[in-house]
Amino acid sequence: MLTELLAPAGNLYKAKIALLYGADAVYIGGKQFSLRARASNFDLSMIDELVGFAHEINKKVYVTMNMVFHDEDVYGLEDYLLGLDKIGVDAIICSNMIVIEKAKLLTNLEIHLSTQFSLTNSALANYFYDQGVKRVVLSREASLEEIKMIQDQSKADLEVFIHGGMCVSYSGRCTLSNYTVLRDANRGGCAHTCRWLYNLYQGDKLISDDYDFQMSSKDLEATNHIKDLLEMKVSSLKVEGRMKSIHYIATVINTYRMMIDDYQAGCMRPIDHYQNEIKKAENRLTSHGFFEGDTTVEQQLYNSRSEVPTKEFVGLVKAYDKNKKEIIIQQRNYFEPGDRLEILMPDKTIIHLKTQTIKDEEDTELDAARHPLQTIRISSPIEVVENSMVRKIT
Amino acid sequence: MNIVARLKTKDEISHLIKIGTDIIMLDVSGFTAKPINSLDQKEFTHIFKEIREKQKKVYAYMNKMIHETDLEQLRSWISLFSELDIDGIVINDFTVYVIAEEYGLGKKIIYQPGTMNTNSFDALFLANKMKGMTLSKEITLDEIVEIIKSTSEIEYSIVGHGFIDMFYSKRKLITNYFIHKQLKVNQIKNNHQFVLEEKTRDSIYYPILEDEVGTHIFRDKKLKSFEEMKILEDMISDFFIERLFIDDEEYYDTIRAYIDNEARKKFEKKYISNFNSGFYYLPTEKTKGERHVD
Repeated sequence: MLTELLAPAGNLYKAKIALLYGADAVYIGGKQFSLRARASNFDLSMIDELVGFAHEINKKVYVTMNMVFHDEDVYGLEDYLLGLDKIGVDAIICSNMIVIEKAKLLTNLEIHLSTQFSLTNSALANYFYDQGVKRVVLSREASLEEIKMIQDQSKADLEVFIHGGMCVSYSGRCTLSNYTVLRDANRGGCAHTCRWLYNLYQGDKLISDDYDFQMSSKDLEATNHIKDLLEMKVSSLKVEGRMKSIHYIATVINTYRMMIDDYQAGCMRPIDHYQNEIKKAENRLTSHGFFEGDTTVEQQLYNSRSEVPTKEFVGLVKAYDKNKKEIIIQQRNYFEPGDRLEILMPDKTIIHLKTQTIKDEEDTELDAARHPLQTIRISSPIEVVENSMVRKIT
Repeated sequence: MNIVARLKTKDEISHLIKIGTDIIMLDVSGFTAKPINSLDQKEFTHIFKEIREKQKKVYAYMNKMIHETDLEQLRSWISLFSELDIDGIVINDFTVYVIAEEYGLGKKIIYQPGTMNTNSFDALFLANKMKGMTLSKEITLDEIVEIIKSTSEIEYSIVGHGFIDMFYSKRKLITNYFIHKQLKVNQIKNNHQFVLEEKTRDSIYYPILEDEVGTHIFRDKKLKSFEEMKILEDMISDFFIERLFIDDEEYYDTIRAYIDNEARKKFEKKYISNFNSGFYYLPTEKTKGERHVD
């Protein structure tokens, strides 16, 4: 069985981009029952459309239902499950027994256990397998050594996070947000209180300097360990980030796709190659998380809270005009004639070109592309496909 | 309703029983997060027998998240509990239930994951599988009552008093900070003196504790449940009183206060500040602004 590359998607377009750029499957949240409330805008009709799109190209769609249910949240659950089953989604990802049991009772849906359960051992994986759960998403606190041990013993398929944000707490066990701002961390309302700034005292003695005690973790980045995970034959490699941009998704998914394909073809390139590619996405600082064992100061994020903004992503290709040999681009960031561009296509092809002229839709020549979402044209002798990412080489 | 207390030293067993403790909960070396007095198997057995001789029940407290490398030692402890015929095993990670089932001890398990026991279906699912479930700490009193009404086939409990934890990380956050700042590292592990202060709101201090298994953060105010117990007393089996960050005198006074009304009045005069009602009357929201206006 080939290891799956699983991508996040906050909306229909992001999901399609992820699949086009090499994900074998995407996971999405519905308007109900999902933990990423703000990232979840899929209603059943959109899920239906996405499943149709994915299945047409032999790919899969998983729907997260991983909130921790209170009694007031149960309304509509059965109808929703029946709806997903009718659409033919490939699996649901859940953490509450109510969802598992109802899904088993009412549907033929494949069931995956969410990382919200913080599963870190084979005994529990096998328990859930016997309960009808086909796949478990491992806790991000599991080391590579532990993952291998679990893989050797587990009857359930394993899904492992390889990239993206990490809870500082064990997932599903944190109520910081609940207590500090009454937003339920385990029902989609997490206020990321763990990323706030604090002072640390020991007794009455102030230890920190001007609220510089931080708990934030660097994001996970597993390029150094993909080969190990592929050799273990875990079932799925998962990227986090349903709130991320299409450029982030395309870049990260494209890179891991390259790694997996290169590994399977027996021709992996130096790791720097992949790491340089992935850096083109707008990441926070990254680390290997728990893969090499307990985290140290190197995995923490101090004095650097925000994502590193990138201006590299300058446009999204909407079409190619073969007659005029022009790329039609939706502008995303500033660039101007003379800038050197790199265009990443969904099939992993990368081309380079120097911007000659930039024209608007009325064919008026512009001194620069400066308006987000403006449709512009640049000339290119090479045909570029729709949904390619245009980056400025800085 | 049984009062469940945590044991700090062997010497206080008789006193805890004298003031009204029904069940004494013992820390388990390697498996109790936020320990007060971790016991190895020999010590555990010795203290267990002493408590049993005094006709009181014993729970083992195993609230660590269970990793693959813990399984062998976990089986060793469960085997010991089987030999001792322990009264209850209080767990955070469902894995302990799975392993306990291997030894026929599933019905000794009290599932206390903190955040996961939040709806009536959970009660129905766990009923007849295990001894009990501790209802989650972030649900309202109304929700607690509704869940308890759903089935009588399982014992219910709450952690109703003390500094309640709200965060459990595997990361050594205080140690890492000291290293980052190149500060002289004094005793960090199991040091109860560390507190965090919020930047944005004045005078809010959260106890933070680093131990063998990671880092834990606690509410700034102690939970108290005197009024709520009038409703819940006949509905729950066990009432856990958390001991962390509370001195011995206050802990003993707390136990008395939940048993005797006069003791409660004295308690409320003596310890007037730094308490709240947690989430009993404060429903949380799924999205910002759903219930509460900022």
